[in-house]
Amino acid sequence: MSTILYIEPDAILAKTYIAALERAGYTVKHYKHAAAAMLAADAHKPDLVIMELQLAGHNGVDFLYEFRSYSEWQRVPIIIVSVVPPYEAGFSPDVWQQLGVTRYFYKQHTSLAALVDGSRKAMAATIPA
Amino acid sequence: MKQRGVIATDNERLLMALANQMKLPLMQIARLAELANLQSSATAELATITFTADTALRLIDSYLLGAQLMREQQTLDLEPVSLSAVMYEAVQQLQPVANQYQCELELSLGGKYGPVMAHRAGLTAALTSLGQVFIEAQSQSETSGKHVLTLAAHRSQKGIVAGVFANVDGLGATMYRRAGALYGRARQPLTGLSANSGAGVFVADSLFSAMASQLKLSHHHKLVGLAATFIPSNQMSLV
Repeated sequence: MSTILYIEPDAILAKTYIAALERAGYTVKHYKHAAAAMLAADAHKPDLVIMELQLAGHNGVDFLYEFRSYSEWQRVPIIIVSVVPPYEAGFSPDVWQQLGVTRYFYKQHTSLAALVDGSRKAMAATIPA
Repeated sequence: MKQRGVIATDNERLLMALANQMKLPLMQIARLAELANLQSSATAELATITFTADTALRLIDSYLLGAQLMREQQTLDLEPVSLSAVMYEAVQQLQPVANQYQCELELSLGGKYGPVMAHRAGLTAALTSLGQVFIEAQSQSETSGKHVLTLAAHRSQKGIVAGVFANVDGLGATMYRRAGALYGRARQPLTGLSANSGAGVFVADSLFSAMASQLKLSHHHKLVGLAATFIPSNQMSLV
């Protein structure tokens, strides 16, 4: 069973995404803060990271760079589901690719079904070494 | 079309914060409805949808009340208002939000106060808007202990201080000053406190301004919070 490390600050939204992902057969480990998720990554060995960029305290982009700085996490696909539209996130598609961001979902327009489908595809795809 | 770099008016900034904040309850409703469709029983989702819609509507009402009070400021007559009654009412309005985010509410009225000069509906709306932001912010914090929000009043040299207080990370003078600078420019002005726009804080600020008061960082015992000062009334309370 694949494990997803999920970073979402809002408890109500998190419940809905977790329920949909668990229905699809995934194990979901949820964290509200990037710092806590980073500490927990070692224990959970995630197959996929789904995260919001706009977090309280710790910036989601900082998490991305830190996560990728560890060799064991360099090939884990990452999906961003954010209230920040992609064109405002301030990065070119090249940078997202370098950071191993497989998909960028604009949260307002992303259904649970789309996220579950995106998660399945992200885990099936291979991130180049 | 507006030129880039033109400074937004207070109302435009407030509307932007409100619009950003409103995305959250609407997303919650949309996702909860989708989840309800996937399940055979959707009682819990429907209850949360109801609460979320109510919370969003209350924030819009508070914004509209603030805008209306600002417009009528020239003729706005403050009336003697019982702080304890208003705070009790705010606690009742916040209870469903607190339940949803597993936060406990406390009322701390240390001492006996007479009425203060305020606008009853405006004061209730301001305290409720502030409370919503603090409840959400606490639920997003890293601390795993029990979350408690305290609505409190105490005396100061300038009058009676009333506001919301909590044991939250990230709320301090620097953050609050920075939030004022980021307000209207950033989608997350209360960086460190809330992952959202924190529109409730700015809605409350506009409401307090309309009542000739001002929202400020304040302390209540060991708790930190946001509060405004009101002048005691010598008249009898209307409540």
